[in-house]
Amino acid sequence: MLNRSTIGAFALRAAPLAAALMMTFAAAAEDAKYPDWKGQWLRQRVPGVAGQPSFDPNKPWGKGQEAPLTPEYQAILDANLKSQEDGAFFDWRGVSCLGFGMPLITYGFQPTEFIITPETTYVLVDWVEHTRRIFTDGRDWPKDLEPTLVGYSIGKWIDEDGDGRYDVLEVETRGPFRGPRHYDAAGVPLHHDNESIFKERIWRDKADPNILHDQITVIDHALTRPWTVTRNLVRNPDPRPTWDEFICNEGNSHVKIGKENYFLSAEGLLMPAHKNQAPPDLRFFKETRK
Amino acid sequence: MLDRAVFGRLVLIAALAVAATNAAAFDDSKYPDWGGQWKRPRGVGTQWDQTKPSGLAQQAPLTPEFQALLEASIKDQAAGGQGADTHVGCVTNGVPRIMTATFPIAFVITPAVTYIHFEAFMPRRIYTDGRDFPTDEEPAYHGYSIGRWLDTDGDGRYDTLEVETRNFKGPRTYENSGLSLHPDNQSIIKERISLDKANPDLMHNEITSIDHALTRPWTITKTYRRDRKELWQDYECGEANNHVVIGKENYFLSGDGLLMPAKKDQAPPDLRYFKQTQK
Repeated sequence: MLNRSTIGAFALRAAPLAAALMMTFAAAAEDAKYPDWKGQWLRQRVPGVAGQPSFDPNKPWGKGQEAPLTPEYQAILDANLKSQEDGAFFDWRGVSCLGFGMPLITYGFQPTEFIITPETTYVLVDWVEHTRRIFTDGRDWPKDLEPTLVGYSIGKWIDEDGDGRYDVLEVETRGPFRGPRHYDAAGVPLHHDNESIFKERIWRDKADPNILHDQITVIDHALTRPWTVTRNLVRNPDPRPTWDEFICNEGNSHVKIGKENYFLSAEGLLMPAHKNQAPPDLRFFKETRK
Repeated sequence: MLDRAVFGRLVLIAALAVAATNAAAFDDSKYPDWGGQWKRPRGVGTQWDQTKPSGLAQQAPLTPEFQALLEASIKDQAAGGQGADTHVGCVTNGVPRIMTATFPIAFVITPAVTYIHFEAFMPRRIYTDGRDFPTDEEPAYHGYSIGRWLDTDGDGRYDTLEVETRNFKGPRTYENSGLSLHPDNQSIIKERISLDKANPDLMHNEITSIDHALTRPWTITKTYRRDRKELWQDYECGEANNHVVIGKENYFLSGDGLLMPAKKDQAPPDLRYFKQTQK
């Protein structure tokens, strides 16, 4: 039979250990609350879809997206397409290696990594832009922000199946945005008022834990209705993947001078980017090239 | 009576449970609090050694060849050129210059990787999972960083991150004077990052460069100050960049978007590919 003093002695000696256990279990429980999104995630390519990546991954870029654009913005898309037929560029930021912001930053052009902490989920995109921050610490929308391309993202973790572990990250992204922003390099535009709102639900596939779904809804004044698509990322099975350095400006052959875009030849000489393009105005140079 | 063996077993089981749980979870309490944004101290510029002015005053232990290169760079800059500073094209300077923290930086610590976030560049990944340097990685401006956490004061909590970075590409410079690392890109950069013992809102990064442009390892210490209120801007180097690099020449854009010489008597670009001439 246990005598009381022995039990007391055990309780006394075990108390610090129990406290440590509780703290450690609490930390473990906290960690176990979040889903395993570790590793390198790659854009899932849909076979047979032509053109460069666009918002709806199941449809071709440009007009093929069948974006629910207002007539005014459909006309802007048409003009953007026409300018490219002529060899010129519209106001596409990519030509100067500038960021694209929302929603293009979600596409996974380069491998993507998620770092989940209780306060913030970081999405490392390693592309022209680098990091999205989704704040999950319960904060409200700040009032004094400068406009950005990626906007401000507030997220909420949800345990949908009630198993004690979060499985869905709901995100809302608002401005103030700045622009111009497009859905793709063909020029499907977002509204110039930059008042878009993006709502996302990100979750891991129930059947295949190596697929991550991102359902994105855009609410934008260039659209006749909210536009929802689901994009997928696929996990690289390599537990120690390579993260290549992507530096857009390195090797960019486009040169923007004023509003004109030119091209650089392999030997570094300026070339017209489209037929009959005038050379740059050299009025500030004393000497003329022989 | 509870015998000692039973008691001992209970304690052992409890201790093992703690150890097992520790191994499973990210034990936040083991790592230092490096949260917030870290900025250069007020009044400190972007020179490499924060305690000295940039350029020749850095007194970098350069070989004669690289000392001459620095002097030529400074002379070219005085004439309106860029010298050996390559950042004009908005390509990252990589490690070690990126640790100047021209714009705020932030640390995110996980057991396997410590990430350093920058506004304008992709993050650095410092692997602390015990891996060795890989043999098949492409060289990078950031190099490849392996770190090790140290508990230097034995209080049970890590306080110092030791980092070694190798496998570079270039060109890389320490600062905008054009103070250059060797183009063989065989540099080894060692860092010791820790909070100030007296003021936890100051961080020190002791950086040692081992490079063939130097006559000996060069150690400097960067200090960063913490700002708990994180505010991240869209910093895009190319957005307001008025420099235009055409071939090997750097030109300037006027306020109205016209090409201008960046230095006196600079020749205009070769327009042989244009049929039409500008009126």
